[in-house]
Amino acid sequence: MKLDRRRFVISAAGLAVGGMTTARLLPEEMLLRDRRLRRSRVAIVSAEQYSERLEELLLSGLREFRLNLRAKSVLLKPNLVEYIAGVEVNTNPVLVGAAAEAFLKLGAKSVVVGEGPGHQRDTYLVLAESGLAAQLRSQKISFVDLNRDELFKVPLRATYTGLEHLWLPRTVLQSDFVVSMPKIKTHHWAGVTLSMKNMFGVVPGTKYGWPKNVLHWKGIHRSILDICATAPMHFVIADGVVAMEGNGPLHGSHRHLGKIVLADDPVAADFTCARLMGLNPHAVWHLDRAAHFLGNGSHDRIDLIAEGLPQKTVPFDVLPEFVSLQTPV
Amino acid sequence: MDTAPVIRVVQEILESRQSRKGAWGFGSDQDAVEPTCLVILALRHQPSVYVERALDTLENLQNRDGSWPAFLGDEPEGCWTTAPVVLSLMATRREAGSVHRGIQWLLNARSREANWLWRWKLRTVDNSVQFDPSKFGWSWISGTTSWVVPTAFTLIALQQASKRGFCRSAHLRERVELGTSMLLDRMCPGGGWNSGNRVAFGVPLAPHIDTTSIALLALTRHEEEQGVQRSLQWLVNRLAGCPSPYSLAWGVLAIAAYRGISLEAREGLRGRAQELMRLTENVASIEDNCTLAVCALALEAMSGDSVFDVRT
Repeated sequence: MKLDRRRFVISAAGLAVGGMTTARLLPEEMLLRDRRLRRSRVAIVSAEQYSERLEELLLSGLREFRLNLRAKSVLLKPNLVEYIAGVEVNTNPVLVGAAAEAFLKLGAKSVVVGEGPGHQRDTYLVLAESGLAAQLRSQKISFVDLNRDELFKVPLRATYTGLEHLWLPRTVLQSDFVVSMPKIKTHHWAGVTLSMKNMFGVVPGTKYGWPKNVLHWKGIHRSILDICATAPMHFVIADGVVAMEGNGPLHGSHRHLGKIVLADDPVAADFTCARLMGLNPHAVWHLDRAAHFLGNGSHDRIDLIAEGLPQKTVPFDVLPEFVSLQTPV
Repeated sequence: MDTAPVIRVVQEILESRQSRKGAWGFGSDQDAVEPTCLVILALRHQPSVYVERALDTLENLQNRDGSWPAFLGDEPEGCWTTAPVVLSLMATRREAGSVHRGIQWLLNARSREANWLWRWKLRTVDNSVQFDPSKFGWSWISGTTSWVVPTAFTLIALQQASKRGFCRSAHLRERVELGTSMLLDRMCPGGGWNSGNRVAFGVPLAPHIDTTSIALLALTRHEEEQGVQRSLQWLVNRLAGCPSPYSLAWGVLAIAAYRGISLEAREGLRGRAQELMRLTENVASIEDNCTLAVCALALEAMSGDSVFDVRT
């Protein structure tokens, strides 16, 4: 068959349309580079309460990972949402302080704490009322308001929201070692809020508002995936000493888990946290998808280097729309 | 209470922190529109090279459609900062062209609930937060729903635009009325405002000090509304012992605006202003320029001079 110019143009256009259609029908993660570690390491550490012993526990847990932190700048990103008297909403200040001290002892050049609360514009008020300001002051650790930091435009490394780029804070992009420090909680929109959802706090209010509403409209799970594929996150220390169940992340009930979860892979960390909560991680859309390209979810690719998962767990209470999460893990 | 020396010190610090581009950041190197506007307002009574340079910077930053971006280097998409810029330009009696274009953009800006399809969706499917989507105001950025702070700032800007004769159209009156109804609808059950929702998943949300204060400043012409009075009462009670100068300063601004009609506001005002003076004793240690500017504006309001006044 003779390939004249007309036939060539039509065939090329057909191929392009066909290619684009196929690409749109494929799950996004099939088009993304597989960034999973060969094996991920997770340490479940028992901690009955927030006490001075946490630093020792963290140091011993962190040493198992043999991290090279020499001359590295460390950013701790706790979950600092709102202050509600008597309710464990935020990552506990004692744990944040212990993590800062532990990283310094392991040779880090500097440790700063940064967060950009989603609803509360007065970051300092939450910092002061939650007790984190006093904790950091006593240890001479600096705090950066990520909602108001210098911003850089970063192309997205995933395609779930359809946004092409995000503006991200300088402190996040220039830190050598970013540690997500979530509070283990259920979440009324996302099912759970763990190390990946915690990274919503690096998206700056200056650009996206309070709350970061555009991300909610793009889909909370999709936004979590794009943020976590794009913003650096090297390690996780999850606060499950006192966790939250039910109508989290603000109005749930306390659940004493007595655990801290350390991990070198956020996906593996979140899968493990979900399993500790007695919830099925595969039923959480962003976790299930993340396990296809961003990190490890399956048991056979996660090394539990400290304690094992309990034989039996009583599932965390969830809102009715999330009962599917309570299906057997 | 002699607030003038403190105000002057704050102003001098702010002047010294102006960037080479003629703007201010929150505290970092990123020049941004919100802090620049608040600082201009704090310095407005003393014509100076600082204010002139800042106004030039803002005018050069205006987008073609009349709006303003969030910060220097941002994409040319309009956002909520258009309202504080319009306020700043009007307060400094700046050239009318850019103000008119800014006002026009605000009048045409419609949050997501303005679309009937989204209203229907918010009423039927997305009903885990309870609000009336037919009452809408302004959003932080285009394509999203109404929130309290952008709506309150825009209401202040539009009411001042009308008061100062920049625009007295029926369209402006309609948008102010609609925006006011949105604020009243989104009020927390016990008074005050969270960021934009009153109840989520069946649980009433707690108000925030700064959001409540800015909303109250926008609603001073509705002082007889029970909800407004309840919110004022909540604010007066909540402000005592507030450790943050930013929230406390917004609270003082709001309480000062209502001292004429509320005994509680009048009685609480002096004490809160003294607390603010105490929190600003080591003023140079406050890195956030918005906080400094709002502190200066709050102390200024003690003498009856409020830049956010919308009463006729």
